[in-house]
Amino acid sequence: MNAPIIKCHNLSHSYSGKAALSNISFICESGEPIGLVGPNGAGKSTLLNILCGFMRSASGNVTLFGHKPGASALSGRVSALPQDARLDPAFSIGEQLCFYARLQGLNTQQAKHETSRVLEAVALKDVLKEKPSVLSHGMAKRAAIAQALMGKPELILLDEPTAGLDPVNMRKIRTIITELSPVTTFIISSHDLAELGRLCQQMLLLDKGVMSTMQLNASENNKPTRFLTLQMESCPAPDVQAKFNNVAGISRVSNPQKNEFIIEYNPEIQPSMDLKIITCINDNNWQYRQLSQGKTLEEKLFFDGM
Amino acid sequence: MIPSFLKHISLICQFELKRLFATRKGLLYMITFAFIWYLILLYPIRFSSDFLSQQENTPEGNSFFQFIGFGSLLNWRIPELGVYWNFSLTIFPLLTVITSADQTCSDRNRGTLRFLCVRVSRGSLFFGRFSGIMLTQAILILASLLTTIALIAFRDTTLLPVAFNSASAIFLSLVIALLPFTAMMAALSATVQSARQATTWAILIWIFLAWIISIFSAYLPALNSLKLLIPGYQISNLYQLAEWQILQLAYIPLLQTIILLSIGRWIIHRQSL
Repeated sequence: MNAPIIKCHNLSHSYSGKAALSNISFICESGEPIGLVGPNGAGKSTLLNILCGFMRSASGNVTLFGHKPGASALSGRVSALPQDARLDPAFSIGEQLCFYARLQGLNTQQAKHETSRVLEAVALKDVLKEKPSVLSHGMAKRAAIAQALMGKPELILLDEPTAGLDPVNMRKIRTIITELSPVTTFIISSHDLAELGRLCQQMLLLDKGVMSTMQLNASENNKPTRFLTLQMESCPAPDVQAKFNNVAGISRVSNPQKNEFIIEYNPEIQPSMDLKIITCINDNNWQYRQLSQGKTLEEKLFFDGM
Repeated sequence: MIPSFLKHISLICQFELKRLFATRKGLLYMITFAFIWYLILLYPIRFSSDFLSQQENTPEGNSFFQFIGFGSLLNWRIPELGVYWNFSLTIFPLLTVITSADQTCSDRNRGTLRFLCVRVSRGSLFFGRFSGIMLTQAILILASLLTTIALIAFRDTTLLPVAFNSASAIFLSLVIALLPFTAMMAALSATVQSARQATTWAILIWIFLAWIISIFSAYLPALNSLKLLIPGYQISNLYQLAEWQILQLAYIPLLQTIILLSIGRWIIHRQSL
């Protein structure tokens, strides 16, 4: 078991009497990236702001590596990408990142080297001497991600890291997170569930200020039935559902979205259900786009049990 | 290794110096400052000092200056520095209020403070910005004093030792006098949303606080001592002093600074970023 890096106990916060967080308690251990999901206004940014020390909780306790958020002892150990934060327009991007590195304890030479390294990592080395005003929204986001990567932080809190990025840069950020994961724990707040599904095995789900945790793999392996998610090309949904329902071992077929089917089956009756499904598709001359194990993250988090 | 509290203050202070000397806004301020002081040196200081030198040993001259309320100018060994002192007591506090109004508010609105606060404590940030502003003010005071001394040397080089002595007193006293103004703007900047709001609040505090205290002290005279809390309270008395006597009232701005910095630190620690 890894050491806990975040401990929250009965954390509550409200804005003008409206609860944003209600008695949240959880522990995060170092290791794989952790996703923080929830609908708009669920309290994700509030929680990240409290963890970063940007705001104080109304009640409850929270510690990061045993220290209160915002403590000097966390300088260089905890890093963050705050939502909508922008760099100072008076200074060049290089000057500011260099300054941040100096504040983290690096000397001038190390700070310059580190600035080049992180800007290169987010494909922004060309804008080292530019002012933030020349950056597009996506570039400014990458510059903000660059500052979060400075030094060797043990914990990086990312609030919507890929919002506004193009697919190439989304993949770049995903690669950075994957590469750093063995030494750095990421907590990623995002609405992009496909992105989170690729990166995280553990999810923190916030809804109306209440938190629940989910281990994505564990939750499926422990159940007597399994799921397949099938995305078809244009097809007659009632026919598809009817045909699949006749396959031995399938207990339920749902059609939550256009051309998407979730198939629930018993693995003891039919262990190779994926092959059966492909055969059925082939026999009926249908075209499919994707067949994947389990439910989509969206289904698991927001529609399970509905 | 995590830098110490003082190292953080020093780094933030250096960055604030860079803001004055290496940014477009800072350079524009420097050019404006230089132009204002060029005009002050060229006309009021040069001509007034000539006039004072001619009048200081005549009874008519003495009584004229006493009559218009500038009798203390005659107590300065070098007239240029007496005139400089009177001008600087008005100009520097005003410039300080304007230039130090945005110590943290813009950065807080923009979210830049968040980048900083994951690396330094709020206390380091608050005192670092305050120290940086004070250092820039000290540099500007020093520059204007040195140009005044150059003007004195141009008139009479034998006055230089006396000029440096008097200028040292002025430098120290001015820096101390500006401390509470900068501290007040630091506290206001930590509270409000923009530099303009901070300046407006500073003006309101001066006008209304003095007014309210005056009204209440009419009923309870002991309350008049509360005026000690208003930055610049001692400045009207400073006009009447000369040479090293100008440090006699230094305890007032120092006390104000301690109180205002404590309030500002308390505010920034509770402020959401």
